[in-house]
Amino acid sequence: MKRGHLEVFMHNLKNVISILNSVLLICLLIFSTGCRDKYSDIDLSMYQYRDTKNLVKFVYDSSLLVKKDGMKSIEYFKAHRDLYNTTDHYLYIYDMNGVNLFHAGLPEFEGKDLSEITDKSGKKITRLVLEALNNPTNPHAWVHYSWWEPGKFFPVPKSSCHFKVKTPEGHDLYIGGGMNYPHEEREFIRIAVDSAVALINEKGSESVSEIDDPTSQFNFRDIRVFIFDSSGEFLIFPVLHELSAELEVLDCIDEVGHKPFRNALKKLEQSDFAWEIFMARNRYKRQLVKKSLYIRKTVLDGKTIYVSAVTDLPQPP
Amino acid sequence: MPSCAKKYEYSVNEIPPPGHLIVLSIQHIMLMVMSLGLPIIFANQLNASPEFTSALIAFSMISAGLGSIVQAVRFRYLGSGYLCPNLCGPSYFSLSLSAAWTGGLPLMRGLTMVAGIIEMAMAPVIKKLEKVFPNYIVGMVVALVGVSVITSSVTSFFGLSFEGDAIRNIDILIGFFSLMVMVLSNVWGKGFIKMYCLLIGMIAGWVLAVILVPDYWNDLMIVKSSHWFAIPSYGPGFLNIKFDLKMVLPVLVVGISGSLKSFGNLLAAQKISEPELKEPDFTPLRNGLMADGLSTFLAGLLGGMAVDTSSSNVGLAAATKVLSRWICIVAGIIFTVLAFFPKLLMALSVMPKPVLGSSIIFSGCFMICTGFLEMFTEQWDPRKTFVIGIALFFGLSTGFLPSLYARAPQFVQAFFTDPLPTSTIVAVVLHQIINFDQWFKKEEMKGD
Repeated sequence: MKRGHLEVFMHNLKNVISILNSVLLICLLIFSTGCRDKYSDIDLSMYQYRDTKNLVKFVYDSSLLVKKDGMKSIEYFKAHRDLYNTTDHYLYIYDMNGVNLFHAGLPEFEGKDLSEITDKSGKKITRLVLEALNNPTNPHAWVHYSWWEPGKFFPVPKSSCHFKVKTPEGHDLYIGGGMNYPHEEREFIRIAVDSAVALINEKGSESVSEIDDPTSQFNFRDIRVFIFDSSGEFLIFPVLHELSAELEVLDCIDEVGHKPFRNALKKLEQSDFAWEIFMARNRYKRQLVKKSLYIRKTVLDGKTIYVSAVTDLPQPP
Repeated sequence: MPSCAKKYEYSVNEIPPPGHLIVLSIQHIMLMVMSLGLPIIFANQLNASPEFTSALIAFSMISAGLGSIVQAVRFRYLGSGYLCPNLCGPSYFSLSLSAAWTGGLPLMRGLTMVAGIIEMAMAPVIKKLEKVFPNYIVGMVVALVGVSVITSSVTSFFGLSFEGDAIRNIDILIGFFSLMVMVLSNVWGKGFIKMYCLLIGMIAGWVLAVILVPDYWNDLMIVKSSHWFAIPSYGPGFLNIKFDLKMVLPVLVVGISGSLKSFGNLLAAQKISEPELKEPDFTPLRNGLMADGLSTFLAGLLGGMAVDTSSSNVGLAAATKVLSRWICIVAGIIFTVLAFFPKLLMALSVMPKPVLGSSIIFSGCFMICTGFLEMFTEQWDPRKTFVIGIALFFGLSTGFLPSLYARAPQFVQAFFTDPLPTSTIVAVVLHQIINFDQWFKKEEMKGD
């Protein structure tokens, strides 16, 4: 009986070894052929959604084409519009003066100066793109605004990323790609808050009205950069524009009794920034919705202030 | 049992030869590992340190491993003696998170222990429910155990991590390929191939994923940086245990709902392990619930996440006709030991989502069909049609229409949670109401 078991064991062991050998062989094959990710030059680790990563990759690929083939590539894009205008995203190219050279979905824009174009809330889109391209805290030059889908008659929320390119002919262009109904990434509020802190450090008190401006990069969709000082008094109120109301920020609690601001400020004793997760109720969902608070500490007129914003977090599928 | 043994590759009490025992246990572990995503997500939500995350995973694994062993043994009042291993329970996730936010890990530990006690208290009551669980309701419960994994399996099959995100064609290809390898190995294969169909499908799908998608290859490369051996450390969060009376009601609801789910899993395990039973044998079910409750209690005590019985593993047992409880014991031992080997653990936990999804779909199929077959073995009549029909309408609607129940009155929300517990509660209540007249008839006949 024991011998029988041993034989079966040896037989099984041989089978397992042969399977492992095959797996090893395939792994070696992969190693030898080299399986290098062609996007290893760009850091996408800050994004959580695949849609966002895909858009950055899409624009990056197109920017490489423009960098290589220069102005000739624009003819290529025009000849293959369908490839650059999909249900997920679309491509456009501008020169640095705001003249549109290519728009995959709206060819009627091509050749026009759109430097002063604004969305429904008055955001100067081209100006925001140019600011974003020069903003070191915004590596993929994200801009958020509302726009239209070609052929439709209502505004849709939009996020776009951009890459600046110098063509072989010496022209400076920017390549951008947009997606409708974007997901809210944590990175978007990180950029907004870090940019606000940089502006405060550069311009001092006069930056506050700029950050509060609804048409600035610091306000988009439901996101708003707000500021309060260590006594809990608001310089920019998180909900209302040009109006402050009574709100004991440190005692704010979420749906499960958690105090996100109090906890965040505790973390800020050790660090210049903090992320804090909290729960909110959405009346159409059974489960509580996760949100995230990003907060940074800086100094304004000799006083410590806190610059912050709140965003939704990805929900499980 | 000699006649029964022929129906299976290995029957419930049979000990497979050592080589088979180990490989079959690994096959089950591959499914158990998927639940480790829960402590990882949990720690992410809390912005916890890597040390905290590792410790949480390790303690959860130890609890689930020990729980699997206890579940498979047959003591007088403990352990069902079926192949029904433990893993981190998704039913407890939201509650654990709320507790951790409110009172940190100490409160989560305290509430997990309370949930375990509730389940243990439910165990003797289940024995008393013998009369309210006729075979056709048992069949429905077993089928719904399979239904309950639909959301997690299909979203994984499509490679989704977040609600509303993009789906890649390549993920569908990998998932489909993996599923077909499992199914065809099971249907066309014999002996070795049939027995290891899930493992073969997983390896084939994984290799394809690594070849086709650089992201999966990169995931695998992360394994390099982990240590071979590490002892989980008790950080500051793991030292206290707290309770909060305000959270007793939610714990009670989740505890009862979790018990019903485990009851369904154990019932399914019994059905496939001992199909010759004409009616459920409630003693192993009671002991199984007791073991599950004890494991949950232990998880709280150790500092892991609450554990639960695994529907997918029961489905796998049904698919492969390998039902030996010794596999559960060895899988439990390996799972416990694995907690001390982060590199191996990491390697298993980066399994591509489509491969994971196809494994759960594969095992879920057997649960659903076993349940339906059981349901329709009895003579059917309009009473059963309404009991099952209405129960399924309301039970499945909780999955189809979650936003509707979000606006429902509180008492409806408390009981109409997921398809499995909701359908079970509705079916049991309706069975009593619709058969009320029969009860009187029986009394009259007794009187005559």
